[in-house]
Amino acid sequence: MRKIQVEICTGTACFVMGASELMLLEEKLPESLQDKVEITGSPCMGNCHSERKSHLPFVKIDGEVIEDANLPDVIERIEKIAEGNKNA
Amino acid sequence: MTNETSTMTSLNATESPCEAQQKDEIQKNIGETFVEVDHFQLCKSGQHSPGDVFLSEKNPSDGRTISTLSDGLGSGIKADVLATLTATMATKFVANDIPIKRAAEIIMNTLPVCSERGISYATFTTVDIDPNSTVKIIEYDNPPYLLVRQQTALDPIKESTEIVRKDKSTAPRMKAYLHYSKFTGEPGDRLVFFSDGVTQSGMGTALFPFGWTAENAYSFVLDRIKENPCVSARDLAKSVVQEACIHDGYKPKDDISCGVVYFRNPRDTLILTGPPISKESDKELASIFNLFNGKKVICGGTTANIMSRELKKPITVDMKNLDPEVPPFSEMEGADLVSEGIITLGTVADILENNGVYSSDKDNAATRMVEIFRNSDRIYFVVGTKINEAHQDPNMPEGLEIRRNVVKKVASLLEEKFLKETHIQYL
Repeated sequence: MRKIQVEICTGTACFVMGASELMLLEEKLPESLQDKVEITGSPCMGNCHSERKSHLPFVKIDGEVIEDANLPDVIERIEKIAEGNKNA
Repeated sequence: MTNETSTMTSLNATESPCEAQQKDEIQKNIGETFVEVDHFQLCKSGQHSPGDVFLSEKNPSDGRTISTLSDGLGSGIKADVLATLTATMATKFVANDIPIKRAAEIIMNTLPVCSERGISYATFTTVDIDPNSTVKIIEYDNPPYLLVRQQTALDPIKESTEIVRKDKSTAPRMKAYLHYSKFTGEPGDRLVFFSDGVTQSGMGTALFPFGWTAENAYSFVLDRIKENPCVSARDLAKSVVQEACIHDGYKPKDDISCGVVYFRNPRDTLILTGPPISKESDKELASIFNLFNGKKVICGGTTANIMSRELKKPITVDMKNLDPEVPPFSEMEGADLVSEGIITLGTVADILENNGVYSSDKDNAATRMVEIFRNSDRIYFVVGTKINEAHQDPNMPEGLEIRRNVVKKVASLLEEKFLKETHIQYL
């Protein structure tokens, strides 16, 4: 089954506003999800220059941009997608 | 981590990286010589301050490079003070062309007296190199320096003169002699000088009952150079000190210091940081990157995106070596390092301010950048001047300085503390 693609923005603004914690995602993922997710870093995605700029940090999950990203929300989103994929 | 292929025009299977580098450098830099000066030292075991001090400076008015190694009596803070005073005075006097005998007498008569031993004493070796490659060396009580040319030790002619102290009661009993020598440096020449922590290492052991001795240390240096004719001043100094440390069973019995001066072909590094003020200059930036012959660093997410787009090369972020304080570095074909911008540069400035010292368990974009800079001789900064509006947001933490200020700080630290040559271009 295709893995869920998670991209964490590692640009300056995202890094200081919480991305450094998001990069621990791999460790914090529940065991059941670990082999269902592929985590990569991305250089600055440019969201800090857009209208969204007050919602740092940013993470992309399967191409969808998540604002104000934090570990619990990101894990919850991944779980939902994994559920959806299971039932699909 | 270092991308050797970016500095080589051709690498055939029978050439070593060093030979190819030499060939490449000769093609690039016929006639160009850079004076690389570096040193390495270890404190006596159990001490926090080194009693040996190495000071180097480049005189902006006449382009002379002056380096002094001084060994203070004893070890620890007291020795550090003696050695610092001596090294500072020797360097300043030589820079100001004070006659050397007079300078040595002033130094010897000024040093504070050790309360335990009742004498004031510190050694020094000062090397003065002018832009015409004339080298003058003044030695007082350090082991004699080694001059290596074409992998052979040369025997320089020295003039000796006695220094007489005003206050004999605080002088060591032996007579004090100053040795002076002069020669013209040629490309490839190396000058190696060290404190007696090197020559006396291992003293009393079965292998070296009288210590390693200067002769053995010289042979070691010549062997290292034969093994690697391109060995940098930095690496050679480090290998001498580490070898001496091994003789002392990894617990130095004295401060161990070695300085090396190397007349070499310069190693060039280019660092692009910041998007150019106008998008039309993106192509120019890519062209600068392509045409440069040397190591290449891209510092900044937007800068990296521009280069990736212009050069059609993907960027992969390394998520393995994560550091909570410095954003992760990335890889792109053709670049030796791709990092984030301002935080990384700020950390580089901090490390350089701390004399290039950082915790040995750290491996992040900033430490890697520091290593690239320290293994370079000339560093070219190309600074994009477009302001990053995302950093001007008042909600962002303070301390995200303007890029050009941090670059200026890094460049001036590289020049003053590490005697590198830097150039800054704004786009």
